[in-house]
Amino acid sequence: MILYDYVLSASCYKVRLMAALVGERLDLQAVDFHPGREHKSASFRDLNPAGTLPVLVDGDLLLTESTAMLVYLATKAGGWMGSGAVNAAQVQGWLAFSARLGASLGMARLHDMLHYPVDIAAVRRAGVDCLRELESHLTEARFAGRIFLVGDGPTIADIACFPNVALAPDGGVALDDYPSIRLWMRAIRSLERFIEMPGIHRLHELKPAPEAV
Amino acid sequence: MGTEWVAVGLSRDLPAGVAMPALWQGRELAVWRSASGKLSAWNDRCPHRGMRLSHGFVRGETLACIYHGWVYGTSGSCIHIPAHPDLVPPATIKAETFLCVEAGGVIWVGAAGATDTPPEFAGYVPLRSVATQADAAALAQASGLEQAAQGLLGSTAAGGVCLILSTSQTKTTIHALAAKEADRVALSRWLDGVVRRAEERVLA
Ligand code: FES
Repeated sequence: MILYDYVLSASCYKVRLMAALVGERLDLQAVDFHPGREHKSASFRDLNPAGTLPVLVDGDLLLTESTAMLVYLATKAGGWMGSGAVNAAQVQGWLAFSARLGASLGMARLHDMLHYPVDIAAVRRAGVDCLRELESHLTEARFAGRIFLVGDGPTIADIACFPNVALAPDGGVALDDYPSIRLWMRAIRSLERFIEMPGIHRLHELKPAPEAV
Repeated sequence: MGTEWVAVGLSRDLPAGVAMPALWQGRELAVWRSASGKLSAWNDRCPHRGMRLSHGFVRGETLACIYHGWVYGTSGSCIHIPAHPDLVPPATIKAETFLCVEAGGVIWVGAAGATDTPPEFAGYVPLRSVATQADAAALAQASGLEQAAQGLLGSTAAGGVCLILSTSQTKTTIHALAAKEADRVALSRWLDGVVRRAEERVLA
């Protein structure tokens, strides 16, 4: 399985993380997203006319939407999709919500890191609205003794939403005021086989003390 | 009377091994709980280079700064500097500590030398903490609750509620408690509505 990848992209990280969690090996092809804008080049658009990252190729299958890649990796491995009508529908709801996170918190980060021309106040405000919705939902889940978005265990919904939330401070949106989101992120960061990206770390408590390395 | 105390968070949001940021009288604090359950509240600045200690990580009975890994014990004293493993850190390297206690599932920080005990809210259990741009007056109006010593108190369709308000220059943090028999989900959604309405007034 080949993933056309940019290491700092939240969407690419979603797919790398999902693959790691289900134990799928990816052949990573680095694309010079910044500053090279290679994803907009004619030769890259021969592969993906939309000129976006990530792109996943497995034999004849070519996927250009990260949520579709999560569905593919999870379904192949089994689990992670939410079982039953209610949970499956809720997973789809959170996949759509993850697009709102990308358009708000994700755009604020691209603005601050790569100078994307967006109305920064508007995208940050939309990002805070998303965080409040997420916090309220996770708070209710905790009342019921749960910590993940849907049902009792982690699903692709968590993986789709986690990166842009965890990276929100890169776009000037603080996470200080969301205790349930903090505990949800800890639960994800402590999943077995969790992998990191620049700006997102595994729970340090689970790593050996530095002097022991 | 408990007037010397300010609520900075809820016990349910700070399990053992977790650090979190909080505001106390305009000061940024790092509040954290050790593996054995000991609670600490410190100035949220690492004595080394000023990194936020609330971004640090708890290992056992210590808090380590995320930047260069300086390790602090529950007294606030630096006990280990990874770049100089053989050095015993001088006693002057110490995080500024604050008086911090829990009562009724609420975490309180008091002024140095506070002699009384924090307020107790018999019959109430912690619900959730929410931050808002709206001030206490707008929240009182939007909620329809009565003014009380530490904030707002009253009943809603979802049951009784107590909102402990902690204000800083930039925001109001609401630490909401629910009456024991209240419907927590309904009360949590009611609170979201109160915040939205109070903020509409602020922005209008
Ligand atoms: S700033 Fe905390 S260890 Fe350097």
